[in-house]
Amino acid sequence: MGFWSFSVFILIIAISAYWYGNTKALRLNSNSIEKLPSLPKYYGNYALIWLIFPCLLGVFLWITLNTYILDTILINHLPKELENSFAGGINMLVDRVKTINIDNPFPGTNPELIDAAIFLENKSNEVRAYFLWGIISISVLLCFVSLKKISFKFKARQAVEKSNVTLLILCSIVAIITTVGIVFSLIFEAMRFFDQVSIFDFLFGLSWSPQMAIREDQVASQGSFGAIPLFTGTLLITLIAMLVAIPVGLASAIYLAEYSSSTTRSIIKPLLEILAGVPTVVYGFFAAITVGPFFREFADFFGFNIASESAIAAGGVMGIMIIPFISSLSDDVISAVPQSLRDGSYAMGATHSETIKRVVLPAALPGIVGAILLAVSRAIGETMIVVMAAGIAANLTSNPFEAVTTVTVQIVTLLVGDQEFDSAKTLAAFALGITLFCMTLFLNLYALKIVQRYRERYE
Amino acid sequence: MKKSGNLMSSKIKISSKDVSVFYSQNKALNNITFDIDEKKVTSLIGPSGCGKSTFLRCLNRMNDTIDICKVKGKVLIDNEDIYAPNVDPVLLRARVGMVFQKPNPFPKSIFDNVAYGPSIHGLASSKDELENIVLTSLQRAGLYKEVKNRLSETGTSLSGGQQQRLCIARAIAVSPEIILMDEPCSALDPIATAIVEELIDELVKNYTIVIVTHSMQQAARVSQNTAFFHMGNLIEFGSTQKIFSTPQFKQTQDYITGKIG
Ligand SMILES: Nc1ncnc2c1ncn2[C@@H]1O[C@H](COP(=O)(O)OP(=O)(O)O)[C@@H](O)[C@H]1O
Ligand SMILES: [Mg+2]
Repeated sequence: MGFWSFSVFILIIAISAYWYGNTKALRLNSNSIEKLPSLPKYYGNYALIWLIFPCLLGVFLWITLNTYILDTILINHLPKELENSFAGGINMLVDRVKTINIDNPFPGTNPELIDAAIFLENKSNEVRAYFLWGIISISVLLCFVSLKKISFKFKARQAVEKSNVTLLILCSIVAIITTVGIVFSLIFEAMRFFDQVSIFDFLFGLSWSPQMAIREDQVASQGSFGAIPLFTGTLLITLIAMLVAIPVGLASAIYLAEYSSSTTRSIIKPLLEILAGVPTVVYGFFAAITVGPFFREFADFFGFNIASESAIAAGGVMGIMIIPFISSLSDDVISAVPQSLRDGSYAMGATHSETIKRVVLPAALPGIVGAILLAVSRAIGETMIVVMAAGIAANLTSNPFEAVTTVTVQIVTLLVGDQEFDSAKTLAAFALGITLFCMTLFLNLYALKIVQRYRERYE
Repeated sequence: MKKSGNLMSSKIKISSKDVSVFYSQNKALNNITFDIDEKKVTSLIGPSGCGKSTFLRCLNRMNDTIDICKVKGKVLIDNEDIYAPNVDPVLLRARVGMVFQKPNPFPKSIFDNVAYGPSIHGLASSKDELENIVLTSLQRAGLYKEVKNRLSETGTSLSGGQQQRLCIARAIAVSPEIILMDEPCSALDPIATAIVEELIDELVKNYTIVIVTHSMQQAARVSQNTAFFHMGNLIEFGSTQKIFSTPQFKQTQDYITGKIG
């Protein structure tokens, strides 16, 4: 039984189960003075749920267990001699068998392997059929039981609503479990890194050059993993970005929320939001091709010599990228300040600008700070612009005209290319990742707390 | 339209002459003409939507802040037209204070709430003077005793009635001549209402007060004169006692006896 015929089969059962539940409920209602406690459709839905849920669960189980079961069967089936004669061990052998095209095997393939592949194919069909029939019989049974339950005592609506809630909870758990899984794998890999490099050297070391030697006798055969230059680089670029984004973003938010007419607003606001959707690689392009050289020529003019890859180019463009983020969020926050406060201020004889400065902005401040912190954590996590405009040289410097690099950029450079997955160099990426994760996590928590406090005040 | 003569020999503080107000095309007020006496409480009553708040906002030009709102006619305060081109509404509003329906203290400390007006108008030349103004205003608003130990707490931490008195203190801190109140007690419980009403009795010795209220009893209790509005028209104006005992018009009578509203 194939997957598609299975789906169609289930669909047909589903429709008839719903129809039967519904009709049975209608019949009960019309044959007696007593009425069912819920509307007929809920009885149909109830049966449907008891069909669909077990099906989904079964399919999920099948998908997760399938490989494991088949591998075990195959390993037991393969003759020992074949296993011993195959270089690379049993796992390689299994992988090799799986890649064989049984209809049209590559000429010269070991016939024993082809036999194994055919065996695997048959077994796989067999296992699938068992699973699908198992799923069908269990869910049809459950569906049947639930149809039997239809009576004047049974409150189907409550049961349906309960299972809806269960479904919603399951979905939200998926997101949470994924996040937790990611964090744990980060921690796990980072631990392996800290087995090779001390955590103290990592957090407080001043030099970052993770190039492991290719040969043992090479100079600097041991890379150095001091993360300080990366974090200062990140901070420097973030700082420059914020110096650009905060004043401009806030000013445009104030204009939008307080001064612009509703037509201007309805044009500018969507435009800003579109700007927020420009892929960062495009901004990176702009930074590398236009802004970087501009700063270099600018400096040339005054007789300085700066690199065309510089913190200021990357930070500046990143700032521009973040402007819509800050202005859009702050605009919402400023608009949410109750009109009654503005009226109160006007009625005291305050001008528009006094009202903004002394009443509206202070009232919106917590929300604005929240917006800024969210923007900061976005800047910290930004990679593309920095790769393109600030370079990958890990300089420990506070000079914005020099090339610096950031944590995210290093993670990328550590992981691209052919790498062994247990070298310190690769594992360092995870250590950086978890550190960065902690930083932005705390920043976000703090930002959310501030935004929360702001919400409480006016509700 | 009935216009009462000057009651006793009080001086006229505000004089509304043929005031009409439009929101875009809709006429919200229609040729309102009457006089408001100095240092008296004048109440504006009428069913909701009849234009009481709109009229009140004409008196301190708060209507200017609503884009679609156009005011025609003249409002004279001390015989000067406040809609004349040379009048700055910002300065006018320092002379005509306003208290709103829902207490709207700024999210600042109690002290800063009251100090707001004096500091933007530069009324105090020193810190001591500012503090003096704030404390006197709180005293006049009958709030001082309750908040003297918590002046640096935020204004929104007070109870509704206290917040409303804080707003009154804020308004009188700039020494206005007139105080407008738009249903100042509608968000308050009966006890807080009684306290504010007592305060109004006290304030009227120094200020001209115009109060919008939807409570007939309140109008009867606090005001000397009453204006009855209906659908954008001023139906009847006169001494409160006269309006409530012998209304001249049927609409007034119906409203007072609860038949319309
Ligand atoms: N900001 C506004 N924009 C448009 N129409 C308004 C506005 N404020 C009031 N109005 C209209 O003006 C009329 C009078 O309103 P208002 O003065 O608030 O009445 P009241 O205070 O007596 O209940 C109502 O019909 C109302 O719909
Ligand atoms: Mg009103």
